[in-house]
Amino acid sequence: MEKPIYLDYCATTPVHPEVRAAILKTLETDFGNPSSMHSIGKAAANGIADAREQVALGLSCSPSEVIFTSGATESDNLALAGILHLSKPGKAHLITTSIEHHAVLHTAKKLQSEGYEITFLPVDRQGMIDPVDVQNAIRPNTVLISVMMVNNEVGTIQPISEIGKIAKENGILFHSDAVQAIGLLDVNVNELHVDLLSLSGHKIYGPKGIGALFVREGVRLAPLTFGGVQENALRPGTENVPGIAGMGAAIRLTNQHKKDENIHLTRLRGIIISGLQERVPGLIVNGAAIAAPHILSVSLPNADSEMMLIRLNGAGIAVSIGSACTSKSIEPSHVLTAMNLPTSQIEGTLRISLGYPTTEEEIATVLELLPKIWSKAKIN
Amino acid sequence: MSKYRVCVIGGWCGNRLIMVADHLDELLQKAGYPCQVKSHSVWENYNQPPASNLVLQLLPAFTEAETGCPIINIRPFLVDIDHPETMEKIFTQIKSDFASTFQQ
Repeated sequence: MEKPIYLDYCATTPVHPEVRAAILKTLETDFGNPSSMHSIGKAAANGIADAREQVALGLSCSPSEVIFTSGATESDNLALAGILHLSKPGKAHLITTSIEHHAVLHTAKKLQSEGYEITFLPVDRQGMIDPVDVQNAIRPNTVLISVMMVNNEVGTIQPISEIGKIAKENGILFHSDAVQAIGLLDVNVNELHVDLLSLSGHKIYGPKGIGALFVREGVRLAPLTFGGVQENALRPGTENVPGIAGMGAAIRLTNQHKKDENIHLTRLRGIIISGLQERVPGLIVNGAAIAAPHILSVSLPNADSEMMLIRLNGAGIAVSIGSACTSKSIEPSHVLTAMNLPTSQIEGTLRISLGYPTTEEEIATVLELLPKIWSKAKIN
Repeated sequence: MSKYRVCVIGGWCGNRLIMVADHLDELLQKAGYPCQVKSHSVWENYNQPPASNLVLQLLPAFTEAETGCPIINIRPFLVDIDHPETMEKIFTQIKSDFASTFQQ
């Protein structure tokens, strides 16, 4: 088989060589415990400080406002539970949306089961949140609003700054999961008016098992774990030095290249859309017209997405689909369902996600093969 | 005479595939049709359908030209494992095949 064509960068990304080098340095040379009072430990601590500075630079915040975690899932958990757990159940209300990542949705549902009040806002057919709905959902006991910046399935970019202003005007804390945004969009926590913001390392060519949470100075969180003072006692335990170093390197690369990458991927995304529209009559592009440049959700008419995925995989092309296998049945994506897309549309939905290594030649191969594969994967 | 072979074709969701195959096996035995019911995941092979007398597809993997036998779309079983119309199609086909070639 020829070199595989990876178009699932929303799921994860390959580690960039410079990230790998940064990680190896912490495994081979700067392997000390950052809490140790000697030079080898100090070198590890310096590595963490450098990485924290890079993240802060990427978010336009202070390094002291960055907490390293095990990933965005933990960051989301810490943000939501950390705020709500400061109040007693029944005394605090959270507003979030029906299209959040499960890291937010499942945490919100857990908090709901503990007695906290949760509002899950709907989205329109493009997957957009209406800030008016956010405003209308506010209650006297609302303590937190959580809205993702870029949806990981359809790429819609939410009006975060506008929602942030509403939160600020009402004295409510605002959290955003910016996992799919940080690599390609400007994420300035002050312009966005966010108080908490989640990031992941492995979505931006860093390693898996590392993430970060921006916590605005003065915002108090109840910790989820206990046993030390690391990361302002919000993430106690010896730091994941290799992961943090890798995340620092990944964010540094992102800070340097995101503008160029945005242009590159916007162009490639446009080529895929126009190419598929020519070759697949009835093709629907899901999501808003202005979307993240690396995410493309398309519904091919009268098709079975899993069969297309299998045949694409057989041809060496990796994409993802909008359904998941559960113990009892095949469940359609909660995002596409929340967008009120008909089942037939969801069944034929593929997510194609691009990364900096994606080439025009790869896209040309997809445009050649996908229409043929579609014709073999028709339901009727 | 060899047994009548029914092949249930599915994808990633192996649980569902096996559940459907086991369920059909049980129903066919109860109805007095001594069939051999197998399951086949197209994740393992989507080029070569297993030799069968009847193929039941949870997803559109093969054509009748490829299987050389009738194919019934059993996609509704993804939601309802006893979907009446689909079940009726299967039993009608098997009944007809047994009447013409296979003995009960």
